[in-house]
Parts: sequence; structure tokens; C-alpha cells
Amino acid sequence: MTDTMQTDAVFHPKPSMPPPPNTVGVVGWMRKNLFGSLVDGILTIGCLALVLYVLNSVLQYTLINAVWTANSYRECLDINKGEGACWAGISVWFNSMMYGRYPDPEQWRINLAFVTLFAWMAPFWFPKVSGKMLVGASAVLTFPFLAAQLFLGGETSLFHQAMVSVALVLFITVWLHVGTSYLMGRSIGDVLVGITGFADKDDRLHKWVHMGFFGVGFVLAFLYQSSWEFVEVPITVWGGLFLTLVISGIGIASALPNGILLALGRRSKMPVIRVFCTSFIELFRSVPLITILFMAVTMMPLFLPVEINPPKLIMVIVAVCLFSAAYMAETVRAGLQAINKGQYEAAQAMGLNFWKMMALIVMPQALKLMIPNIVGSFIGLMKDTTLVSIIGLYDILLMAKAAGQNPTWLGFHTEPLLFTASFFFVICFCMSKYSQHLERTIGGGYGRR
Amino acid sequence: MAVVDKAGPHRDSRSFSEIVNDEKYRSVFYQIVVAIAVIWAANYLFTNTSANLEARGMSAGFGFLSSTAGFSIAWSIIDYQAGDTYFDVFIVGIANTLLVSLVAVVASTFFGFVVGVMRLSKNFLVAKLASTYVEIMRNVPLLLHILFWYTVSAALPRPNTSLELFDAFFLNNRGLYMPAPVPGDGFSLAVIAAVLGIIIAYVIAVWAKKRQLATGERFPAFWVGMAVIFGLPIVVFVIMGSPLSFDFAELKGFNYQGGASVPRAFCALLFALSVYHTVFMAEAVRAGILSVSHGQTEASYALGLKPSWTLRLVVIPQAMRAVVPPMISNWMNVVKNSSLAIAIGYPDLVAVFMQTSLNQSGHAIEIVAMVMLFYMTVSLTISAALNYYNKLVQIKER
Repeated sequence: MTDTMQTDAVFHPKPSMPPPPNTVGVVGWMRKNLFGSLVDGILTIGCLALVLYVLNSVLQYTLINAVWTANSYRECLDINKGEGACWAGISVWFNSMMYGRYPDPEQWRINLAFVTLFAWMAPFWFPKVSGKMLVGASAVLTFPFLAAQLFLGGETSLFHQAMVSVALVLFITVWLHVGTSYLMGRSIGDVLVGITGFADKDDRLHKWVHMGFFGVGFVLAFLYQSSWEFVEVPITVWGGLFLTLVISGIGIASALPNGILLALGRRSKMPVIRVFCTSFIELFRSVPLITILFMAVTMMPLFLPVEINPPKLIMVIVAVCLFSAAYMAETVRAGLQAINKGQYEAAQAMGLNFWKMMALIVMPQALKLMIPNIVGSFIGLMKDTTLVSIIGLYDILLMAKAAGQNPTWLGFHTEPLLFTASFFFVICFCMSKYSQHLERTIGGGYGRR
Repeated sequence: MAVVDKAGPHRDSRSFSEIVNDEKYRSVFYQIVVAIAVIWAANYLFTNTSANLEARGMSAGFGFLSSTAGFSIAWSIIDYQAGDTYFDVFIVGIANTLLVSLVAVVASTFFGFVVGVMRLSKNFLVAKLASTYVEIMRNVPLLLHILFWYTVSAALPRPNTSLELFDAFFLNNRGLYMPAPVPGDGFSLAVIAAVLGIIIAYVIAVWAKKRQLATGERFPAFWVGMAVIFGLPIVVFVIMGSPLSFDFAELKGFNYQGGASVPRAFCALLFALSVYHTVFMAEAVRAGILSVSHGQTEASYALGLKPSWTLRLVVIPQAMRAVVPPMISNWMNVVKNSSLAIAIGYPDLVAVFMQTSLNQSGHAIEIVAMVMLFYMTVSLTISAALNYYNKLVQIKER
């Protein structure tokens, strides 16, 4: 066959002609995406005009006509006739908007607590670190005690001191774990067993080695923390972004566990539990948050014994927790409904009991599916926290409003609101982008392959 | 059929551990525990509450509703005088809440469709503009929107230099002033004609559908129906000699008198609610349209349907199935979020009843219960409508 073929008879196509110049490059892109048709062109020009107008006004207001140094709002108005922003006021009020009336010399405690929290959570982003669930659980369960000690100060009970010590030991352990994971490629537990020479002994001994180290660490931490002397800061002076983060942080942290329990209760086969959970969820979801907050501050004092009179903040936090749990319950329920019945049956066939089936088989899948919705409700809660300003808690929004009522800064309303809005925008935007990222990385494993 | 004897011969010989491990007995036990806990908690709250009420010398009960409220309300859609009862205050609050939420629902639904379609536009600039709007607006709390627009609206001109439209609409820093319609004799006949028109249009639609199913012939039921709905009342209106006049707002002294008006707080609240909720409506529309697979469009073209019919008969009906449920729950959110009116002093239900009335009368439990009952009624009604719609449009499988 091959010898009969003549190589010079092979067909050589001419190279294809280049595409017309107006369909490639910038011009081609513009013709395709901006001026596809007459209507498209008109829309493009209209939108361009709108964008330029808005950008120009925003730039004029925020930068070109803005005043950066002034001592009162009057002074700002004299300089720019109200044509631009008065950012000078923001620098004056910045501290109040961040910390409320928290005393200046004690504010480092707040910063320290938030830095600690971030440092505690940071190993989540380190790919080589194992046991991320343990890291998360240690933070969620013990950090609140450490934070309470830092925020409140003053004398605390022995139990609280013990929990603070546990928190300190666990925090240090987490970072030692990060260190050993990256330097030696082993977990902190293995390293401890290794240096004490128990590595080749029975596994049960390993646990005792861990306990021993933990006990030594606990004693040291307890002695260390008993030397702390923090001035007491009553919660009535808490305020600003700090207060917003405290309320929404507690709400977010409690939402998931409570929501999971409520969702399981609503899907339970036991009628009493189901009716109770369903009516709780429906009640809290059908009324606005502001009515729940009003209920908390007006009715909770009536519900409690006469001699107990909790501060407003505590009542508000309870209300926010109940509210967020009800919303989270519906999100979790939607996730549970999406799980194939076969998964439940397979888990039962493996001999798992109810809680093991939920914890090991069903919940991981359901929660993974619902990541966007869960983060969505976290964002919603974060935004809803601003409502506490209506019932008179000095969160960042009420501090922003208070700025305009100060005699020197009378009428200084718009800038603090814009500043606050940009804060929320940054926080919420980052959260939603991060949830999209999570959805792609860990949520993507679910579904048909 | 023989009755199955559940209590078998071994019933009496069950050991204790068998009973403990039996799912049925366990579930009964858990339920009893929960029931006792709930009853105990309710009893605890009740005793505390009655002790508290006694300590404060207050009595519970709805008797206070018929006593005079004694405060005035800044603005209301229905008549209210300072001497009216607390129950009137409740009704006024509900009317004000429903008014602002209704207008906000209409506005945000309309703009939601616009923005949602814009986000799917092939035009790069239009799509980017819409998605920027969505990202900025939805990541800022609604309360901030409301306060911001209320603050900004304070910079509107004073009444004597109001913004004007057709010499009939005036916008200034007190509010928006509009001509008020004054119905004359025979106007009610036109209203009756409109209702009749709607009924006739419905009958035509049902008939047209039946005929199409039977014979395959299409009838322009939509346009004929529209003609009937609008044509009939207009004809009656003209025959009766146009019995409708307008009461125009006029500048007298320092402010406008006459006509209809809404306060600045209403305008700011409405604007903020619309701006904020447009985003969620737009997301619902976008997701709905994207949920219709492209194969549907191609199949429709393959059957020879023209593009406008494809859109109207194939894409939109399927998209609506995914658009409507989230949209309806957004409507519910609009009603709930209108309660933030309290921050800028628009007299809605929460502001006049849950704050002012509660502070004056002290009947916290009754008032909170009434307000919650109202919102629960609204949301249960809306979710009932939603369930009905879902049942109506769900895919009927063989």
C-alpha cells in the first residue's frame, strides 16, 4: 500500500486566513460585548454616562472636596460648604466607633482577645495541620472563657479561672502542634510520646502521657493566670464595633449547634418533640427580629424571678441566639432533606446508632451541601446585629449616630454612616467570597462524579 | 381479616433491658421528659410573671385596648385622633405597615426583574453595573440603608423651593405631596364595572384555554382580557360624565396644604426597602432564568416556535416555577423589615404600638403577643399562598 502512494500528491491545505480584524482583540471584544446591536450600543453609552457621573460625584465627595483635618463640623462646613465629606470627624470618633466607651488604657485587652481568636483559627488555613476539628472545637469551647476574662476583668470564680487555664494550655498546644506538623511532620501528641520514650509502648499509655503533659501545663497556666490583675470593665460601657462583634459572634457560634438540634427535632418521629421544635422555629421565623428584641427587653424581666434583673446586653444576646438558631434550623433541615434516604439506611445497616449516623454520615454531607446558605445566614445575622441600636445598645451604628448629636459635631451624620457601611461591606463581602471559595474546594466533592 | 395479635405470647417474659432498648418505649420516655420540661418551664415563667406583675401592681388582660391612648400619631393612612383607643392605634399601625410594605413589594419586584435581567445581559457594561449594584447593596445592613436615605433626604429643598413635577407632585424636606382623587357621584359604578371586567376576563381566559386544549386554536385571551378590564370601566366612567376630580396640594404659608401627602420618613423608608430588596428579587429572577436549561430553548426552536413564543410559552413558565417561591418569601421579608421604620420615626405597627403604647400602658405581654400575632398571620398567609402556588406549578410526573 505505502509504496504506491506518492508523497507529492498529499493535499496541503492553504493556511487559514486571519479572522477579520474587527472580530479580534479589543475592538472585537467591544463589538461583541458592548455594541452588539443598536440597542446594545445605546445601552452601553447610557450606562457609561451613568457610571462616569456616579464615579465623578463619589470622587468629588469622598476625595476632592473632602476635609481631612478640622476640629469641629462647623469648621468642615466652612472649608468645603458641605460639598464633600468631613473625614476629620471620623478620625476623632474612630476610637468610640470601635470600642464604645471602653476605657482607653484597657482597650489592648479587646485587641489581644481578637488577635488570639484569629491565631487560634489560623491553623484552619494550614494544609499540613491535622485534626482541624479538634482545633475548632477547642476554640469554640474554651475561648469564650478567655475572652470573658479579658473583656470583663475583675474577680472571677475558681471554675472560670480553671477554664481560662485550659484555654491557655489548648491555645499553646494548637500552635505547638502547628510547629511540629511543619517541622517534623508529626502531631504534637506523637512528638510528646516520642520524647518521653513511650513510643513503642501500649497505646493506652500514650493517653496517660498526654494527660500528664496537659496536667503540668494546666498547673503552670493556672499559676500564670492567677497573677493577672485586670481592672473590671462593666458591660454597660461596652460599645462600638466591639459590641457588634461580640453579639454577632456569640449568635454565630451558637447558631449551628442549636440549629442542628432544632432541625433534628423537627424531623424527629416523636410527635411531642416535633411539635415543640416546629412551633419554636415557625414562631421565631415569622416575626421580625426587632419584635423579638423588644420582647427580650420588656418581657424577659417579667419572666424571671423578681430579684434577678439581668443587664440589657445579656437579654439581647439570648434573643439573638434564639433567633439565629431558628433560622439555622431551617437551613440545616433543607440540607438534611437533600440527603438520599439510602445514606441513612446504609448507616443503619452498618450498625451505627442515631447520633453516630448523624455525626459521621448524614451531617457532614448535609452541612457541606448547605455551606453557601449557612454562610449566608451568618452574613444576615451580622447585618441584623445593627438592630440592637434601636433598643439603645451602643453598637457601631448607635455610636455613629451619637457622633452627630455631639455639640461640637452637630449635624455630622452622613460620614459616620458611610464609614460604618463600608465596614459592613468589607466584612460581609469577604465572608460571601470566602463561602464561594469553600463551595468550590470542599463542597465540590459532592454530587455525581 | 384476622386481627394481628401484637402482644405475643412472650410479652410478659420481657426483661428490663429489652424494654429499655425498645425504640418504642424509649421514644415515649423521651417525649414524656420533654413534655414535663416544657410544662415545668411554662409554669416557672407563669409564676414569675404573675409575681412580677403583682410586685408592680399591674393587671394582665386586654381591657386596656378600649381605653383612650391619648397620644397623637405623626401620620396615618386611616383617620386617627388623639382621643382614640389603643385598639385604634393597633389598626392604624397595621395600616401604615401594610401600606409601606405593599408599595415596597411592588417597587422591588419590578426593579428586581429589571436588575435580574440586566445581570444576565450579554452587554458587558450592563451586566457588570447590575452585579456591582447587587454586591454593594446586599452587603450593607438594611438599617444603615434606612438611616442613610433618611439623613440624605434631610438635604431636600425647603417647601418654598420644592422639586416639582407637572405642578402636581411636590417633593421637599417635609415629604411628598400629590393630588388626591376625589370621587364624585357615579364613580362607584365605574369601580363595579372594573370588578365585572376582571370577572369577564377570567371567564374568557378559562374558555380560551378549554378551546385550545380541545381544538388547538389559540385565542388572544390576554389582550381581549386587558381590553375588557380597562375598557369597561373607562366606558362607564365617560358615560357617567367623568365623576372624578383631583384635590391639588398648594403652597400655603410654610407648607403645602390639601392633596395627599406622605412624610419624608415614608419616602426614605420606601426608598431604602426598595433599594435593598430589589437585590434579593433580582437574584431570584437570575437564578430562575438560569435554571431553565438551554435544551428547552433549542427544542422549542426545533419545533418551529418563533423566539417570542419560545420565551413566552417555554422559558418564562418554567423560570417562574423557580422565581416565584424565593420572591414570595422576599415579600414576607419586606413586611417584616418594614418594622425598622421605628429607627426613623415612621409610625408603623412596631413604632406606635410596641413602643409608644407599650411604654404608656405597660401591658407588655398583651402588646407583644398582639404584634407577634399580626406578623405571624401575615407570614402564615403568605406561606399558605406559596404552598398553594407550589402545588399548582410543580412538575406532574406520570
